[in-house]
Amino acid sequence: MKEIKVVSENRPNMVAEITGALADAGVNIEFISAENVGGSGVVSLTVDRYDEALRALARTPFQAISEDAIVIRLEDKPGELARITRRFKDANLNLRSIRIIRREGGTGIIAVAAEQPEQAKKLLKDVLIS
Amino acid sequence: MAQISTGSSPTAEDQRRLDDLYEMLRRESEHSVGYPCNQLFDYGPLYRFLDLPVNNIGDPYVTSNFHVNTHPFEREVVETLGRLTRAPAGSFWGYVTSGGTEGNLYGIFLGRELFPGGVVYYSEDTHYSVNKILRCLQVRNIMIKSDPDGRMDLDDLRETLKIHRDVPPIIFANIGTTMKGAIDDVAGIRRIFDDLAIHAHYIHSDAALSGMILPFVDDPQPWDFSDGVDSIAISGHKMIGSPMPCGVALAKKSHVDRIARNIEYVGTLDTTVLGSRNGVTPLFLWYALRTVGLEGFRRRVESCFETADYAIRRLKEIGRDAWRHRNSITVVFPRPSMRLIRRWQLAPHRHDAHVIVMPHVTREQIDRLVEDIAGDTPDPTEERGTS
Repeated sequence: MKEIKVVSENRPNMVAEITGALADAGVNIEFISAENVGGSGVVSLTVDRYDEALRALARTPFQAISEDAIVIRLEDKPGELARITRRFKDANLNLRSIRIIRREGGTGIIAVAAEQPEQAKKLLKDVLIS
Repeated sequence: MAQISTGSSPTAEDQRRLDDLYEMLRRESEHSVGYPCNQLFDYGPLYRFLDLPVNNIGDPYVTSNFHVNTHPFEREVVETLGRLTRAPAGSFWGYVTSGGTEGNLYGIFLGRELFPGGVVYYSEDTHYSVNKILRCLQVRNIMIKSDPDGRMDLDDLRETLKIHRDVPPIIFANIGTTMKGAIDDVAGIRRIFDDLAIHAHYIHSDAALSGMILPFVDDPQPWDFSDGVDSIAISGHKMIGSPMPCGVALAKKSHVDRIARNIEYVGTLDTTVLGSRNGVTPLFLWYALRTVGLEGFRRRVESCFETADYAIRRLKEIGRDAWRHRNSITVVFPRPSMRLIRRWQLAPHRHDAHVIVMPHVTREQIDRLVEDIAGDTPDPTEERGTS
């Protein structure tokens, strides 16, 4: 089951807007959860039509992240990204990319892509946004 | 559904559609103050070249079997921009690209070819197209935080580089970010290399807009070849102005020669990213550089700064916290409503919007924009990505 994460500033109607956009595109939501991460809202969902859902979400103000990326939370302070890249280096795992999605309320939400995603997830389990 | 006529002249319906399109484009261009496209140009004397199948395929410095090209003019454009970017004579190479993105693609490609195991570092405020380039080239990459003004956070870069000293860094430096016009500290980046004894490195300057601003100011931030960068991308349709998107990619010749030698093995010396290339846009750029002249561009840049400061004053008068970076013509202010964003074609990002005070933007346009903003009712909280 492929998962999509949607990240935005935390706003009361976020879930309603996401579900509305997906309903308009004829996408069924199979699972949805929302959490507040720092000052940001993160909604995780699984759907019946993955590609169609990503296209529909691209038309909303929200940032949708496909399952290719591992989404983590970090404190927004100097050296935090370096701490993560050091883990990969020490574990001899190849990192493809690190991308900052949002920084709000002292917390950064980061998307990490790695060549061995399952091992990478284990490496990042303490900072994973589930 | 409209039918395409096979006759020699358009049908009345086709003609009406073209007329409507032209009117719409003309009308919309009058409200375009959020995107950095200079509208101040007149290439009428060059329109006859559109009757010919001009194609600048291949390296502009290499003789081609296809002779319907404008390579000599393209080389003159490259030579002029080489001087503006303070490259020592004979030390650089370049060509006219399809726009800033191709120039950036070329720069990162060159960096990756020189350092195949390298990691690209770029800031949070980098234009979204760079992500596409990184995916296309499948190069490893790490995004570095930006400071609140939009510059790459050098503390964050330093900490990250410390861990990867053995991996050559390929720095994508923003010389004028899309949203705030911030210029990454190239001198500071080079100091970090020195401090950490990183000898193998590459710096690409994305100077899409500022590449035709900084050569004309008295106190430019470090950004060009004399400041130690390896390649530079400058847009042609931005500060110079062109009816078609275009740009210039410039790089140290020694780097390009290494790539060219590699390609020789497969029997070609083609060093450009694309095969067939626009042969008319080099003529536009050449014509602008000849007719406006470098002194003319200097005056244009000064005039843009004056209008930008006027915009800041006017926005502050109505209580909007407007500002710009030194040597930038991008005026940042709090995001207005979506209605105004659409009307004035502003580029919003999170809580900010900007006006880019290009040479065609007048004080009268600024007055009308400010008047609209003064009477504006902001939307409920809304957030979109960079346009």
